Amino acid sequence: MAVHKRSYHAYAGELTPRWSRFLIVSRYAFQNALASKALSAYFALCFSYPLGCALALYANHNQRLLALFQTSSFFDVNARLFFHFLGVQGMLGFILTAFVGPGLVSPDLANNALPLYLCRPVSRAEYVLGKMFVLFALLSLITWVPGEMLFLIQSSLAGASWMVPNLWIMGSILLGSAVEILVFSLLALALSAWIKRRLAAGAALLGVFFFGAGFGQAINAVLRTKYGFLIDLANLLARVEDQVFRQHTSIGIPATDAWVALVAISAFCLLLLEKKVRAYEVVRG
Amino acid sequence: MNGQEAGRRIVFEDVSKFYGEVLGVNRVNLSIPGGITSLVGPNGAGKTTLMNLMTGLVRPTRGRISVLGISPDEPERLFHKLGYCTQFDSFPKGLTGYQFLYSYLRLSGKPHPVADRLAGQAIERVNLAEAAHRRIAGYSKGMRQRIKLAQALCHQPSVLVLDEPLNGLDPLIRAETIALFRSLAQEGLHIVISSHVLHEVDAISDQVVLLSNGYVVAEGQIHGVREEIHEQPMQIVIRCDKPCDLASRVFQQDCVVEARIHPDGQGVLVKTRNAERFYLLLNRLAQGGINIESVAPADDDVLSVYEYLIGTEEPTK
Repeated sequence: MAVHKRSYHAYAGELTPRWSRFLIVSRYAFQNALASKALSAYFALCFSYPLGCALALYANHNQRLLALFQTSSFFDVNARLFFHFLGVQGMLGFILTAFVGPGLVSPDLANNALPLYLCRPVSRAEYVLGKMFVLFALLSLITWVPGEMLFLIQSSLAGASWMVPNLWIMGSILLGSAVEILVFSLLALALSAWIKRRLAAGAALLGVFFFGAGFGQAINAVLRTKYGFLIDLANLLARVEDQVFRQHTSIGIPATDAWVALVAISAFCLLLLEKKVRAYEVVRG
Repeated sequence: MNGQEAGRRIVFEDVSKFYGEVLGVNRVNLSIPGGITSLVGPNGAGKTTLMNLMTGLVRPTRGRISVLGISPDEPERLFHKLGYCTQFDSFPKGLTGYQFLYSYLRLSGKPHPVADRLAGQAIERVNLAEAAHRRIAGYSKGMRQRIKLAQALCHQPSVLVLDEPLNGLDPLIRAETIALFRSLAQEGLHIVISSHVLHEVDAISDQVVLLSNGYVVAEGQIHGVREEIHEQPMQIVIRCDKPCDLASRVFQQDCVVEARIHPDGQGVLVKTRNAERFYLLLNRLAQGGINIESVAPADDDVLSVYEYLIGTEEPTK
């Protein structure tokens, strides 16, 4: 008969709040992502367009420059400018996602590291949230954060007479960016979870966009319809943003259909994550 | 079992787990007390499934599990009390041993200074202090096994679940690790270990659970389990100065089914169906001019019990 002294005391000290623990997953994912010099350089490059826009806005209100070129303004600052800004930054963000996204979940799956995460007081949802937060933060920094800053710069230069009637653009920037970030992140994480090789996952992400667009066009041409756009992610996002920024659209599907398609794609990505982000993969014999 | 008692044990009540049509474990009823409990069985017997069930990483198809009174469906409570060391040699990329422990302690909700202190303590406990700030990718197999062990115990859990924790350790580290398990068990921890190495199971376990094809074949202290196997006669080795004389005398007793001179000629191997009666008889024989040096059971170890109950699917001896 073994004798147990029961002198051991389990940890009974202070704990950090539960809501913040997913950020620990993010912290190490950030470290991994930003360890690449190429990625850091590209990330820095993503700020060149916002910086250019900020300079252009300044120039647009600089009386000496306007007088020099004998014009009242170089360009109109309206929703279309912010719509284009988000289009450019969205494309840069997509490439950033293709860099960072595939390396988020796939190494943990390839190394069987998920049981290690999940045998902590961290749920699968928190794990996914932690990984997703990396993309959310990086993409935010190049989409809605500079977008809103540009809006504020323009407001400070043009005054309340411009700001008040255009205040809705702030909401549009936020909503348009949120849609892009959510779709990019979910797609990247789902592919990262299903394709264990990082490079292949990156290629698949690019494939979903470019082949989706190609197939969509082919369907439109062969079946003489516009619903091929429903598998064209770039056009779906563009259609939604057309509506969000109140722009005239050349994409021939209703905005509601584009919203529904994006929601369906996001739900499918969540389903893929739910199936794959598990401590143990169930192999049916 | 009352609530207070259940609060001190790991309890499986009629637990089954099926992976589709594949049986993981079936109708498991266990009540595991403190100390070291070893799960023993061939590959596919259900050892890892049982561990994953008690850690909540897989859900039972049927039945109920509680770990010190906590359901595995409550990970927030459970994982503060439980540490798990998986059999996979897997680590997040690029971390040093210290960062690995520190990050998991932060995930467990420990504030920075506490996580820093506990990581250091756990690293010291597994003798990895010198390699703590080296990347795990550069660790040897034994060092990786130890850092995995450290991550399981660094947050000061009350239950340690260790899947093949001695794999890859050299004899010296293996002995140190076994000593660590013993000291943790002495302090009152529940340690559940799965192992293929039967002689080590014998050396470290307070109780064993024998599994085969998803069923619990036997559980309890090895000696008790052995006594329950009535169809196999107990084997007893008697060291004495007159083995031939002793063999002829014991063979005349009806409780003895076989008596053989030990290969080294220094004793007798006796098989009996009634050990208690045989021991009484031995007292009389000892008074009859035979000098008995030692009497020891020859088959109440895990290996023998395993062979009797599970048979040919032998793990590592």
